[in-house]
Amino acid sequence: MAHPLISVKNLDLYFGAFHALKDVSVDFDAGELVGLVGDNGAGKTTLIRVLCGIHKPTKGEVWFDGARVKEFHPKLAIDNGIETIQQSVGLCDNLSIARNFYLGREPVKKILGIPFLDFAKMRGESRKVIREFGLRDNVSADDEVERLSGGERQSVKIGRAVEFMNRVVIMDEPTNHLSVREREHVNELAVQLKEQGLLVIYITHDIFQVHKLADRIVIMENGEKVADAKTTDMTAEELEEVIRQGGRKVEKRGAA
Amino acid sequence: MKHLVKGQGFGAVIGVVLMLAVFSLIDASGWWTAQTMSNVIHYTAILGILAMGQALVIMTKEIDLSVGSVYGLAGIAFIMLQPALGVAGAILAALMIAAAIGVLQGYAVVRGGLPSMIVTLGGLFTVRGIIYVWTGGSVKAFPEEARNAFVTRLFGGEILGLEAAVFWMLAVAAMLNLVLWATRFGNHVLATGGSAESADSRGVLTGRVKIVTFMLCSVLAGFAGILTLADQPQTHVTIGDLMELEAISAAVIGGCLLSGGRGSLTGAVLGAFIITSFRYELIALGAPSSWFITFVGVVLIVAVIFNQKLARMAGHSV
Ligand SMILES: Nc1ncnc2c1ncn2[C@@H]1O[C@H](COP(=O)(O)OP(=O)(O)OP(=O)(O)O)[C@@H](O)[C@H]1O
Ligand SMILES: [Mg+2]
Repeated sequence: MAHPLISVKNLDLYFGAFHALKDVSVDFDAGELVGLVGDNGAGKTTLIRVLCGIHKPTKGEVWFDGARVKEFHPKLAIDNGIETIQQSVGLCDNLSIARNFYLGREPVKKILGIPFLDFAKMRGESRKVIREFGLRDNVSADDEVERLSGGERQSVKIGRAVEFMNRVVIMDEPTNHLSVREREHVNELAVQLKEQGLLVIYITHDIFQVHKLADRIVIMENGEKVADAKTTDMTAEELEEVIRQGGRKVEKRGAA
Repeated sequence: MKHLVKGQGFGAVIGVVLMLAVFSLIDASGWWTAQTMSNVIHYTAILGILAMGQALVIMTKEIDLSVGSVYGLAGIAFIMLQPALGVAGAILAALMIAAAIGVLQGYAVVRGGLPSMIVTLGGLFTVRGIIYVWTGGSVKAFPEEARNAFVTRLFGGEILGLEAAVFWMLAVAAMLNLVLWATRFGNHVLATGGSAESADSRGVLTGRVKIVTFMLCSVLAGFAGILTLADQPQTHVTIGDLMELEAISAAVIGGCLLSGGRGSLTGAVLGAFIITSFRYELIALGAPSSWFITFVGVVLIVAVIFNQKLARMAGHSV
């Protein structure tokens, strides 16, 4: 039988004495859009930060595409094709949009055998993408990220993730700071990515919205997974009730 | 023009213009003499190389207090190893010693998660101690034939009537500017200083970036020491004393922000020029040389205030 694309097994993570993830086990398949919801501080960001290599779990295993992940580093996750829109980091204020866009994967052009940054490509591509994501003409690819508004920053991060999408796209509250129109755009994109066969993990507080988009909803509470249900098996109201009650354990994921 | 004003080195450009105007007014005869100019340019080249290395480290949001000692140790290694290795061999060995010190300190900062202020303060003392032990406190000099060797002249002689160090500094400046602004490594340096967390999350190996900049900074300090001693091949134990403070001041006067991610290599050289000019102007005016340190302090504070105002005007949050 085919293995899940990402498999998290009995994960524990401590920040010092603080138990941030408690025995979390969850599988994610390719071609799936999974909503990850739960209260503030429930551990959603912490969980996906393990998946994208920022945090190393204290205990437990992560499997990617049938192989056990032994080392945790963002570079390794990116090389595995995991692209992440982080909640609070990801852009360097002191760099231009173009430089941020290609940070860590800068294209180069050889001049006299020396690999110099390919500025034309960096500017051209990033300009194209930020226009697609609704940034207005007063923002150029050479502008430092520092001067961007919250929504403009978010758009740069989303545009970048979509541009480099590969096998997995993780979105941590991607619609924060976005206008209604851009929110719809992002939600459509999430569905498109999934339809192209990617795994999309979508963190949000808007359970009704994500219930419409997702194939499955995982609920976290206090560092634990408290629900994991197909959207066809539970209504948004039922899921909301689970969050409100602060996590009565529910397991309704059909297939084994 | 817009690029220039937005560039971090702009404050230093204004500083140089102001300074030259003032020096010309108060002391036209002593300042614009060939002797003063030649000294200023020579020492600016040496300090400029140190300052550029320091600027790179500051741009990654770290600091290197050990450069004065490394400058001294590399210079001394160059003189002390020459009998065994020849001039060229001694230069290579001295640079390798400098590189090793940089890597060690960078490694301690990154892997140990220690503040670079403390690690390199330790480096400053440790390396200075090695200088004392190695030279036994005595003065060592090159024999006549090493003094006149081609390689020695290449680094310490004169080309077209200018000290060779000036050309080396210009070459280093051109190269480092290209590396910083137009290569992947440079982008990673700027990103590491801007937000190491964000850079990490994009797969940049920020630890490695820092170790490499510490190494570059050390090698440049060592190179500056070699340039100095190739010109005057004679050791003394205090060589490079306090030079770390001059190098940091030059970088900061040149527009490097200690908050990381912003700075200018050209500005660092201009900062070195300003500091050096004050030293020789005081000499030209016949003031006691002990005033020099006080002046550097005042210029540094004024420059920081001024650069911060400039940065705020450009819309940066500092
Ligand atoms: N680096 C850290 N060091 C210490 N504690 C941390 C760290 N990161 C997160 N935490 C703590 O872990 C808990 C879970 O945080 P996390 O960011 O995963 O929550 P979240 O579910 O994403 O919440 P939100 O919806 O507010 O984004 C919080 O109590 C937080 O304070
Ligand atoms: Mg979160």
